[in-house]
Amino acid sequence: MPRIDPEAVRLAAQCRHYAMCKIDYLGTGLCPSGPEKGFVTYYPQGRMDLVRGLAEGRVPITEALLGSADTCTMCGVCDGQCHFVTGMRPTAVMRALKDHVAEFRRGGGEIVRPVEDEPLRRLRSIVGREGASNDPAVLWTYADDPFPLTGPRPPRYVVLPRSRDEVAAVVRLAGELGLPYAVRGSGGSVFGLVFTDGIVLDMARMRRIDIDRANWCAAVEPGVTSFDLQQEAHRHGVRVNAAEPAATVCGNIICTGTFSTWSHAYGTNLDNFVDLEFVGRDGGVFRLNDRDIPNPFGLGPPGTPPPGVCTRAFVKLHPVPGGEEGILVPFEDLDGAVGLARELGTRRIGSAVAVLGAHYIATFLSPDEALAKALKEALPEALGIRYGVLVIADRFGREAVQALAPAVIDSAMVRLLMLGLPRLVEPRWLDLVREWEGRERPYELLARPEMRPLVEAALQPSPETAAEAVPDALRPLYREVYARPEMTDLVWLSAHRIVSARMARHKHVLAFLVYLPPDRIDVVREVLEGFGRIAEAHGLDHDFGFLTPMDLGKRAILEYDYYLDHTDPAEKEKAGRALADLDPWLADLSRRVPSFLSLKDTFAQGCVRKEIFLYRV
Amino acid sequence: MRIDDASLRRMRAGRTSRILVTGGTGFLGSHIAAALLGAGYRVAVLARSAKTLSARARMERLADWLGLDEDARRRLAVVEGDVLEAGWAAAAAEAGGVDEIVHCASSTAFAERKRAEVEAANIGGLRNVLDFAVRSGCAFFHHISTAYVAGRRTGPCPEDWVESAAFTNVYEETKARGEVLARDLCRREGLRLNVYRPTIVTGDSRTGRTLRFNALYFPVKAAVYLRDIYLADIRDRGGRRAAELGIRPAEDGRLVMPLRIEIGGGGINLVPVDHCVAAFMAVFEDGLDGGIYHIASGAPTRIEDIVAYTRRFFRLEGIETRGPEAFAGRPRNALEVLYDSYLETYRPYMQETRSFESANAAPMLARRGLVCPAFDYDVFARCMAYAQEVDWGSKLFAR
Repeated sequence: MPRIDPEAVRLAAQCRHYAMCKIDYLGTGLCPSGPEKGFVTYYPQGRMDLVRGLAEGRVPITEALLGSADTCTMCGVCDGQCHFVTGMRPTAVMRALKDHVAEFRRGGGEIVRPVEDEPLRRLRSIVGREGASNDPAVLWTYADDPFPLTGPRPPRYVVLPRSRDEVAAVVRLAGELGLPYAVRGSGGSVFGLVFTDGIVLDMARMRRIDIDRANWCAAVEPGVTSFDLQQEAHRHGVRVNAAEPAATVCGNIICTGTFSTWSHAYGTNLDNFVDLEFVGRDGGVFRLNDRDIPNPFGLGPPGTPPPGVCTRAFVKLHPVPGGEEGILVPFEDLDGAVGLARELGTRRIGSAVAVLGAHYIATFLSPDEALAKALKEALPEALGIRYGVLVIADRFGREAVQALAPAVIDSAMVRLLMLGLPRLVEPRWLDLVREWEGRERPYELLARPEMRPLVEAALQPSPETAAEAVPDALRPLYREVYARPEMTDLVWLSAHRIVSARMARHKHVLAFLVYLPPDRIDVVREVLEGFGRIAEAHGLDHDFGFLTPMDLGKRAILEYDYYLDHTDPAEKEKAGRALADLDPWLADLSRRVPSFLSLKDTFAQGCVRKEIFLYRV
Repeated sequence: MRIDDASLRRMRAGRTSRILVTGGTGFLGSHIAAALLGAGYRVAVLARSAKTLSARARMERLADWLGLDEDARRRLAVVEGDVLEAGWAAAAAEAGGVDEIVHCASSTAFAERKRAEVEAANIGGLRNVLDFAVRSGCAFFHHISTAYVAGRRTGPCPEDWVESAAFTNVYEETKARGEVLARDLCRREGLRLNVYRPTIVTGDSRTGRTLRFNALYFPVKAAVYLRDIYLADIRDRGGRRAAELGIRPAEDGRLVMPLRIEIGGGGINLVPVDHCVAAFMAVFEDGLDGGIYHIASGAPTRIEDIVAYTRRFFRLEGIETRGPEAFAGRPRNALEVLYDSYLETYRPYMQETRSFESANAAPMLARRGLVCPAFDYDVFARCMAYAQEVDWGSKLFAR
């Protein structure tokens, strides 16, 4: 077998399975073969897995592998999509795959052709010949998912149902054959941990969205991603509470209940939908709102499975207040930031509210890792910004925030900073800011409207300046991307969640989510310190993610992240040990603090009433 | 007294005094350490390590910068530590005991928002060093303070203790509290105490060399930074942003940058570091009975003059000083907001009409013919030429 370029293999192994190559979030179009074939095998993500699998000797050359290689047109779309969030450029991997295949053909190698066994024949009779496969190359591309500590674990079959009735038929067949099954949204799953030794149902071909304005509701099939739904809602002048952009809406609802910085206004779990449609384990169809089903709203013990395969979600649509803008309220201390977030919760101000740490702010704003790193240092050290409260609000809300907060970086200044970011971290400018001895903090001065012309002159904000942060070859793309107003608009960016995927840029991420009472700042501190302490003890990178008030500021959801290179066994081992330490600590916190809860205790129970776990009566 | 006059004189004359200088990597601390070494004393400096450099490496780099000869370097010891922590005391004691301490370590931040950090350095740090002085058998404590312990006092300021006063900022307040702290402890424990009170220290009047580019330097550096931004805007992008603020090119490559700086009367009291150190050494050697000594310029420099020097040296036009009434009719533009916000902190020092009396220091300086050099254009130009040469500090140690 010819050897594959080790650099391409290294890059391939770095794929985080975040699926950002499956949504057209940059407006550059999608990899053409993916939507046509349906299997993830024909998306850049699948090709990354194939190259890794080939290098490890885990995948033979099959028809599907050849097809995957041949259908890649080397158009370069995936370079932009992947680089925007991970800093990687997968076309080198695509090239390696194509070269490998060409060499294989020149050498006259033999293609592995899997036999169509009886289960596959029957699956094909349900979903069509092209909709089911046991090709080892296809199966291999379903062997991993975004959870960095598991896999590879390929299934026996992958099917692409086209309708609820096909799902029901597959479920019935699985029952008849005694095969386990697992459901994946569009190739992967949002939080990971979705594996089976039997059948994977990939919902990629069920992508229908029906907007029902009269009922403020969108009927969404399980292959629809959050990004696609938000985009469609946007076209209708409304919005949904969206999860990670490449996550499917149904999958996300089932998995964790949708939470985001918008949970401040839109809540989580049941708050986000009107009804769900399921195919039960017996293949029967039911709705969540049916009276004659076992109560699906109660919390089961950790590990409780979902009620069935979700085949449709009736997702709530929300009106968009006119004149909304995104602002950032900088803080030097955690107490001030959490205090403001809670205040906004209590007073019902704004649509989205989140306390972000310097790491998140830097990572989200920067199109490049080195720039993010420089900014992460500069924010607290030179500008005095350790935390920022992101607020999306209309004019009335923003005026209220102005009155409540000492300094506000408004949307125009945010845009200016984003487009001038490479200049913001220049040593000469930072020196000046650092040595600032004025009564005001540097960020307070920066936030003053009179300072705008000067900041503009210093940062020269423009798509060209912003694009300076990325490699030459990608600059034309970035110039185009940053010339689009929405790409520097905090409202659009937050609603579509596309920059949040950047958090896994420098390394893969393990996200921990907890619910807690934000008025207990001691608990917030204890949680941050505890996560930090355990990560340090195991030598893992770690950082505070965000905190969003919920239910009028009575509760909040907090994310803390551990970072690891999932291709390094030592790092995976460290993460495994850290997880073992986290469990007893989190359990202890749950016992001591009323209403403290780790989201892992509600995992796969997104249909549960949030009141059950937010309040314990 | 822990040490009698004769013994002190003998120890000094024989250069056997073991002197610990805190803040040894700081601006004044390093210069004082160098002067003491130059005079033949044995000096240990207390210095912090930096992110990538040990205290010793930092000191060696400074020794190069200061031009210390081999002989001086042999008499220089480095004690790694931070005055804010107690850990260094043992190391300092191990280094062979201490007869005298020159306490230079200090925070010179003014902003109230930095109160905790300033208090920690100027009170907590001082307390640690005083504790060490008491325990180590130190006989003479030399405390570097500031003339601005005078606070809001107007008129003549005597070389006397400030018992109670209103202060302009946390720096003045903590330095004044520090003096009293040192005085009370030294009295109780029988240590001799000299308090040195310089005004604002600038670069060397002969060479322009300095290690710090704050205080006077900052607003000038900011003006140069802005000049360069707008020159680039005009050169590369048609000057739209420059035009918004009325900034335009003038003849001979000069730039017109309209910027009104609000001033009251008076000026700024500047002491070049060479004079400051020479004055320190004069008092150190002659002032054996303990006392308070101002190290100040006899004539404050007018802000108008500094602005004129800046215009001339940096080829800038349009920067002008104005009284407060000028801003009533025409509100501040972005540049003026920036300067106003910054200078607000420094304003009390920019309208100096007080005189810092020098009855104690004057005879010692006179004996050596020491007169504080006037901060004229030549001195300014030397200071700024050096600042540019080392890119305002970023290339200070570049080879």
